[in-house]
Amino acid sequence: MSEHRAFFRETVERILADTLDQNAIEACAHRRFPTALHTALAENGIPLVLVPEAAGGVGGDVGDALAVMRAAGAAAAPGPILEGIVANALLACAGAPLALGPVALTFAETVEGPFHDVPWGGQADQMMLVTPNGDGTRIAIGPVQGWTVAEGTDTADEPRDTLSGGGFASTHALDMRFADALGLAAILRAGQILGAIEWTLTRAIDYAGERAQFGRPIAKFQAVQQMLAELADHALASAGITEAAAQGMNQTLIAAARSRLGDAADAAIAIGHQVHGAIGFSREYALNHRTRRLMAWRDDFGSVPEWRRALAAGLVGCSRESFWPAVSDAGLNGKT
Amino acid sequence: MSATRLHLDLPRLSDAAEQLRGEVRAFVAREREAGHLPPPDKIGLGFSVETTRRIAQQGWIGLTWPREYGGQTRSALERYVMNEELLAAAVPVGAHWVADRQSGPVLLKFGSEAQKRFYLPKIAAGECYFCIGMSEPESGSDLVSLKARAEKVEGGWRINGRKIWTTNAHRVHYMIALVRTSPAGETRHSGLSQLIVDLKSPGVSISPILSMAGEHDFNEVLLEDVLVPEDALIGREGNGWNQVSAELAYERSGPERWLSSFRLISELIDVLAPEARPSTLEALGRLLSHLLALRQLSMSVASMIEDGLSPNVEASIVKDLGTKFEQEAVRVVRDVVSAEQLTRNGRADRLKRLLAHAEVYAPAFTIRGGTNEILRGIIARGIGLR
Repeated sequence: MSEHRAFFRETVERILADTLDQNAIEACAHRRFPTALHTALAENGIPLVLVPEAAGGVGGDVGDALAVMRAAGAAAAPGPILEGIVANALLACAGAPLALGPVALTFAETVEGPFHDVPWGGQADQMMLVTPNGDGTRIAIGPVQGWTVAEGTDTADEPRDTLSGGGFASTHALDMRFADALGLAAILRAGQILGAIEWTLTRAIDYAGERAQFGRPIAKFQAVQQMLAELADHALASAGITEAAAQGMNQTLIAAARSRLGDAADAAIAIGHQVHGAIGFSREYALNHRTRRLMAWRDDFGSVPEWRRALAAGLVGCSRESFWPAVSDAGLNGKT
Repeated sequence: MSATRLHLDLPRLSDAAEQLRGEVRAFVAREREAGHLPPPDKIGLGFSVETTRRIAQQGWIGLTWPREYGGQTRSALERYVMNEELLAAAVPVGAHWVADRQSGPVLLKFGSEAQKRFYLPKIAAGECYFCIGMSEPESGSDLVSLKARAEKVEGGWRINGRKIWTTNAHRVHYMIALVRTSPAGETRHSGLSQLIVDLKSPGVSISPILSMAGEHDFNEVLLEDVLVPEDALIGREGNGWNQVSAELAYERSGPERWLSSFRLISELIDVLAPEARPSTLEALGRLLSHLLALRQLSMSVASMIEDGLSPNVEASIVKDLGTKFEQEAVRVVRDVVSAEQLTRNGRADRLKRLLAHAEVYAPAFTIRGGTNEILRGIIARGIGLR
């Protein structure tokens, strides 16, 4: 673990505690940008976590960025936090000027718009498009002003807009595979998903201790214990493979993490709500801010079925003898 | 996961571990070449004294034990790597498995110097095998209610009782029996002790119990006035429950909990064409993602054991998830075989037989070594619910 990691996580958790409450989370439903949160994150260099120090950044690694996103996911933090981190990592890679304000980010196969479901597309200062470019990647960036914005939302009521008719101020070719750029976004979304799952588990355990029925806390009922143990299984298994993927950053591990998290997210939504009963279904109770985000995030930057097909496609065609070495060697997060 | 008190250390494998992996793969290749490893048509741990001896010649039994007892002082993670390679290749490791995994480590941790000197080098040499004497006809999940008892007699102990579901009792040398040596005291868990029983002793009768898969793996072991010497006692009299609990972390977190049906998946991959249906790829990708996640967990537990921690809850999570994964694997393979019509008209006969065996075998996964409901009870306690 890098020495920065605990510091990053604590910094972000403090900022989230200071700037985010239920009202701020609800405000995104009215397209209100969480300015206090994003200003504080920017002042603390969080969008530059993956930018090398020599390029004016913080010099963290993917594991550090994962810790940031895990904290953000646990807090149900709205806004383009992931987008800022990825956009600046790619800009630094291109040697281009960094993006200091909010960035909207979209991955596409071609440069032809319109671009659909762009998180916070209409609210950001700049828009970045990431496309394949031969064996490498091309990024294009420019002000959102000048684009036509058709407003939309995701299940968490955060904006997801369609942008059309605009252009980009600059484009840069990157010596990075498109799959690796997409993989970076995918693993950071994995961190957010994991954080929301872990929050849901912890809250459900606490709630089971607080809520009494039949004269005792529902935590004392085996049926409730069995459900929560199952959710703990999902959370721990997802945490391991997600951290390994952030460390190894290969396609096999990233695909495995996103596929595994798909099932864990489903379990967190189902079990988190089941343990909470009616109160968890109310808008006022904090659980829905996490579970609706799990629904929104689960299939971002590669859907769960896409990651599953990618994982299997790399391995069918093996013989019975070559299958295990292929699985085993691709699934390791590096050697010392 | 601090809020739920679950802990995970992410291990990186050392160069030595990776070198050992290469050596195990070379061994597997030699075994295959020599015709010792035909593609299997059954799942589960095969039992082969010859294979166990060849593994022992490599120095791979008791790998982590001190050299003075026949070990190699290697790390728990290196042992983990060796085992996943052997299991994935379906090498029949069943003869020495229990002795290497838990009997030996229990002796190492709680046994007397004389016991260590007597048993451990023989286990490491692949000549001495053990079975587990825990379950009884009336004591399964509620193990502590067991009734087998041992009385102190001149020069040793006299044991009476009945052990059941005792895997391999008919073909191993010793059983470590958990028996009551004094009435339950303040807690039900006190008064239990672990005794080594030579299965050739007078008064031991072993009768086979056929499994629903038609195999003779487990047995009922009747102990009638069986005399064992004083030094058959492992550790402290009355401390049996604590010693058994220490054993269970080894028993629950290893790769055998999620790799015992791996050969079914590799056999499927062998016959599956690369242009398989998208739904097939999705089902397989999902399965593989669960496998890779389990592997990370299993490695993490091995690494925590190495660091002197007692990851009992995490080990229970590995077994709860691993055994459910194995049952899921059987269902997925069955569905893919059916959707892709892989065994139609007599094709892929070995896969067909392996799948048939796996289907019949699969209900045992979530029962043996502690039912998943009991494991989830342990997990629930670990996350603060009980």
